[in-house]
Amino acid sequence: MSIVLLIAVPLFFAFLGIILKKAAPYFLLLVSFFNVLALGFISQGAIVIGGYSSFYGIQLVLNSYSLIGLYVVNTLFFVIVAINCFKHKKLSPILLISLAGLNGLLLTNDLFNLFVFMEIAGISAYLITTTTKDPKSTFNYLVLGTIGSSFYLLGLIILYAMFGVLNIRILGNIIEGVVTNKAAVALPFLFIFIGLGVETKLLPFNSWVKGILGKSNALTGPLVGAVYASAFAFVFGNLLRYLFVFSESLLLIVSILLVATILIGEAMAYASTKVREILLFSSIAQAGVAVLVFALGYYTWGTILIALNGFSKLILYLVVNIAVDQVKSDELSALKGLFVNNKLIGAGFSVATLSILGLPIFAGFIVKMNILVAMANTPKFFFVGVILLASLIEGIYFIKLLINFWFEQDQAPRVKYSYVVIYVTLVIALLITVFGVYLEPLNSIHSTLNLVKGVVMHG
Amino acid sequence: MLLYASVLLIVIGLYGLLTNRNVIKIILSLNVLEIGLNIFIITVGFLDLEEAIAPIITLQQRASVIVVDPLPQALVLTAIVIGVGTTAIGLSLAKKMYDKYHTFNLDEMGEE
Repeated sequence: MSIVLLIAVPLFFAFLGIILKKAAPYFLLLVSFFNVLALGFISQGAIVIGGYSSFYGIQLVLNSYSLIGLYVVNTLFFVIVAINCFKHKKLSPILLISLAGLNGLLLTNDLFNLFVFMEIAGISAYLITTTTKDPKSTFNYLVLGTIGSSFYLLGLIILYAMFGVLNIRILGNIIEGVVTNKAAVALPFLFIFIGLGVETKLLPFNSWVKGILGKSNALTGPLVGAVYASAFAFVFGNLLRYLFVFSESLLLIVSILLVATILIGEAMAYASTKVREILLFSSIAQAGVAVLVFALGYYTWGTILIALNGFSKLILYLVVNIAVDQVKSDELSALKGLFVNNKLIGAGFSVATLSILGLPIFAGFIVKMNILVAMANTPKFFFVGVILLASLIEGIYFIKLLINFWFEQDQAPRVKYSYVVIYVTLVIALLITVFGVYLEPLNSIHSTLNLVKGVVMHG
Repeated sequence: MLLYASVLLIVIGLYGLLTNRNVIKIILSLNVLEIGLNIFIITVGFLDLEEAIAPIITLQQRASVIVVDPLPQALVLTAIVIGVGTTAIGLSLAKKMYDKYHTFNLDEMGEE
């Protein structure tokens, strides 16, 4: 099976869904499930569209890294669609186009093609966020997203003018091997960094996040906060691994931006009294940690961190947004005692939160510990200190959040969660706990993936 | 010359985005920025080939004829289409905002 199908099938059914409107939600559900299933039948490798040489043509690459990204994004997407597709029937074709865009982002090895997929995913996201009925926030997102992608385009065209190629890996090799003064490529890299920084929610390019995630619903919250965040973090990781070559001055600028993102994000989450804002500021800090881990060269643990955060954030955004939709307030005081009547949901939410915190017996602990050990061995004690400080602040506000949600009071809000949401929350929480105790699959992620593929293909 | 003009347009677009609070003017500034960017991309193909002609293959093609790099031109076509799409969504959001707040000024819309 060709990897092009992961992009072509959602696109085809998106346009079919415009003609056959009533069937569109079913197309969405089937195609997003097909994509998860198809990943087990697609062999790793690279193809060039149109049969050109990889120097000229658009190359799509499926390797272990992009396969993990695709599994995470497509699984999260399917879960969100399964919960929401009949509530937002009109959005079905747009959701299919966004799925095609997200898969393209993870597969492409061409800088301009990446820009096109960024725009496809971005324009779909603008349309999907209109469901929050707040056009001002969506407009702000559109303007910042367009400025970001313009900077990205400027950066890539400067690189093309310098080296005459757009293939990410070939370009990376040329820069690594030929360019002796790395400062010469600092400007285009900075532009590309800014462009991706907008979508990855890095400071100071993330002012759109408050409007979009601060007023999110059960569709936009998990989709933008978990799926889009994971996809763009994977793209960032891919470019940091194969393309970016940091000069000392650029690495300093990037490090300052990332440390500021982590600490300011955590401080804002600590200061906030609205639950959705706590989650969104926490997401900003987490995005900063993920990009920092990649920028420092810890690719394997960075990959696992993004995947884990994606699933944990899905639970957090889903549970909170369903509660906010029913209670009509996202003030922490209004949601006190949320889990008193929803103990199973509360258990799953608590596991996801404690895993993000990095407490033992949860998968987040293994990932965070390995990242900190790797940093200490290099040695990069400053960054170890930053992550530990961030974890401390995170610990204070997340524990406060959990105490408030579990705290029993006379008028605990009555929120009804569907069985699908309860089931999804518990399964993800169980996996987070299992991988927190049984370390082998995380330590040998590549063979684990092959095992998963084997199970999918042969049962 | 064209290169400087494109950079000037990009700067004007960014200035407009930073200083305007009117939704329509912000969309116009985005367009100026995108046009500047598109001209910049086109000039990349011309940089070393000022005598070159458009890259159109004809039946009377001569070996001595120099053509510009066709790739930036293909890229610009895609960028223009994406720009039009973004502008269309921006304008539809502007209409939604006007319906809701009865103004195009972001400051007058207030915080919700």
